[in-house]
Amino acid sequence: MASFHFSSFFRRRLVASVLVLLASCTSTTVDEFRQGETGINSEEAVVVLGRRQASDYETRSEFVECVGDRMGRGDNAIRIVPEQEFVDAMFPWFEPRTAPLRTQDLEKLMTEQVVADKMNDFGIRYIVWVDGFTETSGRSGSISCTVGPGGAGCFGFGTWEDDSNFDARIWDVGSLTNVGTINADATGQSYLPALVIPIPLIARVEANACSRLADQLKEFVNGS
Amino acid sequence: MNKLIKQTGLISAVLALFVACGVNNVVIDGSFPTPNISKMPVSIAVYYDDALKDFAYLEYSETGSEEYNIQSGASHMQLFDAITPAMFDRVVFVDSMEEAQAAGVDAVFAPAIEEFQLALPAKTKLDVFEVWIKYNMRLLTPEGDYIADWVLTSYGKTPTETFRSVDAAINDAAVVALRDLASSFSLSFGDVPEVKEWLAKQ
Repeated sequence: MASFHFSSFFRRRLVASVLVLLASCTSTTVDEFRQGETGINSEEAVVVLGRRQASDYETRSEFVECVGDRMGRGDNAIRIVPEQEFVDAMFPWFEPRTAPLRTQDLEKLMTEQVVADKMNDFGIRYIVWVDGFTETSGRSGSISCTVGPGGAGCFGFGTWEDDSNFDARIWDVGSLTNVGTINADATGQSYLPALVIPIPLIARVEANACSRLADQLKEFVNGS
Repeated sequence: MNKLIKQTGLISAVLALFVACGVNNVVIDGSFPTPNISKMPVSIAVYYDDALKDFAYLEYSETGSEEYNIQSGASHMQLFDAITPAMFDRVVFVDSMEEAQAAGVDAVFAPAIEEFQLALPAKTKLDVFEVWIKYNMRLLTPEGDYIADWVLTSYGKTPTETFRSVDAAINDAAVVALRDLASSFSLSFGDVPEVKEWLAKQ
């Protein structure tokens, strides 16, 4: 009886390890292109904004929020102004149709006294423009579920690939220039085996892209 | 007699349930910030006609049945209530053109919705919900004569999300479209040629 418990315990541990291994099958590449010197003091802040000009996709506000949250935590944390608070306070200058697309547009926008005053009130030193989306491809497999008088169950196997690609452009509000671009590309394979109960093994592609992009942005803005 | 009343009540309740299942009512609800722009030195009466107050759009399914009833009249009024006082020195909201004449204003602003379009991911095969709205913006003298009449379009979209209902996504896309209207209306008002000419005379 004792040996049964022992082997059962190890079997569970093995299954759990395999699940963790499968679930973490994500690879992330981060590229940085620096065009200017950076640095930030404790009174200054960063706002992370999503680009929403593309016709066929939209940068999700949850991803933008995730990047901002992560930049505002841990060592060398940066003061982050929430996207919605900033966009509402700046209304109507940072809406999808009116937001500056180039630093020259920002320069022009800063000539509006109300915009310059609000920017100053928030203490914005850098604007980070995040643009990208997550695409799902390569769906294969099938799962069928049945319900009968004796119970219900699902059988089969499904898999798909997620690819997250996000660009972050960093604008220095002090010098009104683009100081750099960081790209995060994460891919991962998700699996959904079903043996009575479906067990989702989801690759945390977007979460990985968020954390790697945020960490790199934090280092970039701090000038390290 | 009591039995008959009960039966009628039951049938009515079942019928009401079926009717309720037929079409989803979506009442657009959002908050609209005040624009940060310079005020124009004019006094304006804002008049919403019944067509704008009660504006609703019916989206039909591919089989021709009513699918979504989108009611956006109240949110349009809420939007103009928020933006017009930030655009003009003095704003009064009136219920009739006669009231506007008595208010001693320089002009009457009367917006109208001409067209509303909805694009659902199930039909477009894109991962976004989209809303287009076409407006006819009218600026009239207090006596009701024409000053300017121009067309504005607004657009809003929101991505599909796993745990969000279609109703909520339609609402979000409509709110983005309304914010788009607010931004383009408040920033382009003074650039409309007839309005520009009229403003110069004030």
